[in-house]
Order: sequence, then structure tokens, then C-alpha cells
Amino acid sequence: MDWNVIIVNLPFLMKGLWMSIKLAVLVICFAFPIACVMAVGRISNRLWIRYPSAIFVNIMRSNPLILIVFWFFFLVPILTGRPVGDFASVMIGFVVFFAAYFTEIIRSGIQSVGRNQIQAGLSTGLSYFQTMRMIVLPQALRNMIPALITECVIVFQGTTIAYVVGLREFLNSTFLVTERTLRPAELYIFAAIVYFIVCFAGSLLARQLEKRKVIT
Amino acid sequence: MSNLLVDVRELNLWYGKYKALDNINTSFTAGKCVVICGPSGSGKSSLLRCVNRLEEFQEGDVLFEGQSLRECTNIASLRSEIGMVFQHFELYPHMSILDNITLAPRYAKKKSKPDAEAHAYVLMERVGITDQALKYPAELSGGQQQRAAIARALALEPKLMLFDEPTSALDPEMIVEVLRVMRDLAMEGMAMLVVTHEMGFAREVSDEIIFMDEGKIIERKNTEDFFSNPNSKRVQDFLDRILVKI
Amino acid sequence: MALNYDFEWGLLLENPHKEWIIEGLAHTVGLSLTAWVIALIIGILIGTIRMTQSPLLRFIGTAYVEFFRNIPLLVQLFIWFFVFPLMLPNDLMFAWNRLPHVPLITALLALSLFTAARVAEHIRAGISSIPKGQFDAARSSGLTQVQMYRHVIIPYAFRVMIPTITSEFLTVFKNSALTLTIGVAEITGAAKAIEAWSFHGIEAYTVASVTYMTTTAIVVLFMSWLEHRLRIPGLIARK
Repeated sequence: MDWNVIIVNLPFLMKGLWMSIKLAVLVICFAFPIACVMAVGRISNRLWIRYPSAIFVNIMRSNPLILIVFWFFFLVPILTGRPVGDFASVMIGFVVFFAAYFTEIIRSGIQSVGRNQIQAGLSTGLSYFQTMRMIVLPQALRNMIPALITECVIVFQGTTIAYVVGLREFLNSTFLVTERTLRPAELYIFAAIVYFIVCFAGSLLARQLEKRKVIT
Repeated sequence: MSNLLVDVRELNLWYGKYKALDNINTSFTAGKCVVICGPSGSGKSSLLRCVNRLEEFQEGDVLFEGQSLRECTNIASLRSEIGMVFQHFELYPHMSILDNITLAPRYAKKKSKPDAEAHAYVLMERVGITDQALKYPAELSGGQQQRAAIARALALEPKLMLFDEPTSALDPEMIVEVLRVMRDLAMEGMAMLVVTHEMGFAREVSDEIIFMDEGKIIERKNTEDFFSNPNSKRVQDFLDRILVKI
Repeated sequence: MALNYDFEWGLLLENPHKEWIIEGLAHTVGLSLTAWVIALIIGILIGTIRMTQSPLLRFIGTAYVEFFRNIPLLVQLFIWFFVFPLMLPNDLMFAWNRLPHVPLITALLALSLFTAARVAEHIRAGISSIPKGQFDAARSSGLTQVQMYRHVIIPYAFRVMIPTITSEFLTVFKNSALTLTIGVAEITGAAKAIEAWSFHGIEAYTVASVTYMTTTAIVVLFMSWLEHRLRIPGLIARK
């Protein structure tokens, strides 16, 4: 083992890690609001709203992320008619895919609040969407924070898949360094440790919040 | 004292820092029905659960027929001498009533299947649920479930029966049918330890009453004396509150 | 919808595309089924270890689960593929490299161990969802620890866990797509190859998507049938 290879290539690797974090944060920031809207649609009484969102969510959830990334990588340039760059294509694929998963988490969070709260809101003269936004969602959000954090960890793990289209995130950077230095053992173990630390910290945080939720 | 069944000696139990049982010394004899009452959180259920070591007490000891529970290495076989009935029945939801009743006789007491089943039918007859033998617990009413649970405990042919608030989860009309089964059992001379708030049952059926508060035994008396001249103010308050409700 | 795109569905039935698709389907199904079965066995083992009294065994179980859950599967795949052979003693390493279908074996290893951690977690959750009173009831009637698990806890937990364990197959099925990165010719890899070969991405990826979606539909149907069959009379099916 020659751990020097890590130190020498650290700046390059860290640039990759930064890319992974940036990707994950952007995906979460875009996917979450979309998911909030879709989750409300998913439990709507109007079939023309409920069915399309249900179909979308189920299509996304029955396909592997890597395939969705391939789909969007291929489709986005055709649909937009102009090159938007690898980063944007991958981003759109990730956002659409994870929006479906966030939708399901938010939906079950909303359903955990219960019908009576909605009735209470409506009875005071608030509109359906006002009731959702001001009464149901804030409570639902508290209930689902642990699940959301767990999903954020999964998003971060998922960013490794950008490797397959050559985006220079952390795993791909590691791969590129191994190609040059031929020291896969040190480099991949280092990558695993870094991923483990970030994800384990996230898992612990989720578990901590889960415990707190039980008490209140 | 020849028929001494359970001897509780300087028993202390903590849940973390909270002291649930505080230096309990008491004993129970065969053939007697003893009711344990007291406000919630007073340690009644904890005491009951120490008698078959479902609760691992930290200090003191409980002797069952002279055998120390602390030193007992085969607790399972000792437990199969004591039947227990729970507040929420705790029938096994994935087994028919018959299987619920025969499980422990077959596996803990190594009875043959036909023997266990024959005995189970006798017990179901006794508690009045013969028609339910092949049904699953969730298909029965609460009262039927609790009677099935009593039959399951009796199937061990126990020397002692423990009842942990057996009627607290039941609707009033079902309480009666469960209490009737328990009364018959007491009349037949089964040794029983009953944690309950049913003071009518206590007065009619029990031989002795123990009153507990804050992990201690405040008073232990013959049933008649307990109701007619309780010593302590706390028992009086408790009785006033509870008897008004009846 | 597409602006500049000529659909040519017929090319899927031409060789070599057809052969790739058939081989891809076989690999995806075979790999995920085998990995799922192995994962169930290891997962049940790890799950059981975490229920024992021994702090050491419990620690090993927990460490296993945390380790495999908190490292991305793709990274695990690379480690098994690029690093694991290097860690073997020389003669073993040569033997390993001479094995036929090294990528496939590596994929199976990585998928199984990864999924086992998830299965173990489901088992823990399933067992801890069992009311505490069931344990009390079994213990108070004189059953031993082993008898209690054998007759009361496991049969009960099994029914609670059927949905999660079955849907875990779908997770492996989808995760198997990642193995294309180490050269396993599964269905997503086949679709990617057809796209690269012919530039007909829509047709190619449709084949892969239809595979995953059909399988999902079949498994979901099977699951509700199974749940209905194993339903405990009188209990409302839990969600």
C-alpha cells in the first residue's frame, strides 16, 4: 500500500468530491419542490390529476436510475434541439428520478397527518391548497424529516452513477486517477471511506431525529 | 405454612433510575386468590411479572415452591408451572385458537399432539369457546379472546395463575364473562394472583387484598377487613374514589 | 414528440441487436434471482445475529449492515472488481482471474452482499414490529428462547416481512443494471450498446424500460396474491 498516491492527487479528487456534493445538493433543491406539488396531486380527488402523477411515480420507481440517466442523456439534446451540456442532461435525469421517490415520502408524510386536520382547516374557510400549505404540509414535514434525510443520503450515493456518462464526480475522478497511477486498491478504499463517512453521518442524523420524533 | 407457594424476599426492581419495586416482602399460599390493587404506576404489574421472572429484578429473590428464581437455570420449565393472562390477551395472531392452546403443552411440556388437543377441548368447553377452536384470534370478540387466553394458560396445568389486568381492555359486557370464568377458577381452589381494578370481583372472590403504592405494599388484609376497616388513609382514599364509580 | 428522430423499431429484431437483447434479459434475470436468494440466506443470518444476546455478535451484525448500506453500490462493485483480486494471495489471484465470467461472479458477489445488508435490516424491523406482549406470552408459557422464535416470533414476523422481502427482489433487479460498468452484458448494458451502435436510443432504451416495468408489474401482482394467501383470518391487511 502506498497512500502517497492519495496525497499527491488530493486536489483532483477533492474537485470530484465537490462536484458530487454540488450535484446532490442541486438535485435535492430541484426535486423537492417538484415532489411537494406532485405529492399533493397524488392524493387529489381529481382523477385527471391523480392518475398522471401516479403513473409518473410508478414509471420512475420501476426503472433503475442508471437507465433513466441514459434515457435523459440521449433524449435531452434531441428534445431541446441544442446541446445543453452533460451536466445539465444528467441533472435533469436525476431530478426527475428522485422527484418520484421524494413524492412517495411526502405523500405518506401527508397521509400520516390524517383527514381531521384537513377538515379542521377547511372548516375555518381556508381553501384546499391553503389548508395543505399552512396546516398539513408543516406537520407532515416534521414527521417525514428522517425519511427525507435518508433519501438525501441515497441521492448522494446515486451521484456515483454520473460516472457512466463521464461526468467528473468523485467516483469518476477516482477512476481517472487509478487509470493513470495503477493504484486501484488505495484509491478505491479511500473513496469508500469518504463515501462511508458522509453517508454514515447522514444515517446517524436521520436515526437521531427519528428518536426525537417518537418522544414528542 | 406447609402450602407456601411463592415467597418474595426483599425484592427490588429498577427501570433505569426509576425504582419500581421497593423492598417487597410477601408470600402467597396454594389455593388462595389474592387481588393486588393500587393506583397506576404503583408497581402491581411489576410485582406480578417478577413472580415468573418476566421482569429481571436486580435485588432480592422470589422463591417458587422453595426454588429460587434468581438461581434458577431452567427458567422455561419453571414458567411452565405458572399460567399468565395479559391485559391485551397476546394470543398468537397467526395460529388458530386450538394451536394457541396446545403450543406450550406440546413444546414446553412435551405432551403428544392428541393429548394436548383433547385437554384443550376440555378447557375450551370450560371457558365456553368450543365453537371457536379452529378460528383465528382476530375473528373472536375481546371477551372470547381473553377466555381463550385463560384456556391457554390453564393448558399448562399450572400451580399458580397470574392475571395482569385481564379486563382492562374489554368492553363492560365482556368483562362479566371473563370475570365469571375467573370466579369459577377461584372456587375450584386455583391459586391466583390478580392485578385488577374490579373491586366488585375482589370483594366477592378474593381471599386477600394487597394494596400497593409507589412500589411498596401499603396494606395486606383479608378481603372483608380490607373493605370494612382499612388502616391507612391512602387505602381509604383509593376505595372512596373507586367505589364511587361502581 | 421527438423533432429530429426516425423511429426504426425493426432494428431491434436484427442481429446483433436481437442476440444482445436476449443475452441481456438472461443475465438480468439470472443475476438478480441468484443474488436475491443468496442475499436472503445471508440477510437472515445477519438479522438473526443482531437479535442474539452476545454484544460481540450484535456488533458484527450491525457493522455489516452499516458498512454495506453506507457505501454506494457502484463503489462496492469497483472494489470487488478492481481491488479484491489484488488482496488475494498470488496463487489465489491467478486462479480467480482464470475463472470464467469473472465480471458475472463479481457482480453476483457484490449484489448479494449489498442486498443481504438490506434484508437484515428488514428482518430487524420486522421483528421489532412484533408487540412485546407476544414475547411475554411465549416466555410465560415456558417456551425456551429457541421454541419462542421457532413457533411464535418467526412465523409472525415472516408474514409482516413478506412485502418488503419480495419487493427487495425488485431492488436487486434494478440494481443489477449497475453491473454493466464492470462489463456484465445485462439488459441496460445491451440497450446502451444498441444505442451506441445504431444511435437509436429510444428504441433501445424502451426495450430495457419495458423489461423492468413488466417485471415490476408481475412481482407486484404476485405479491398481492401471496399476501392474500398468507393473510391471517380476521386481521386487516397491514400496509
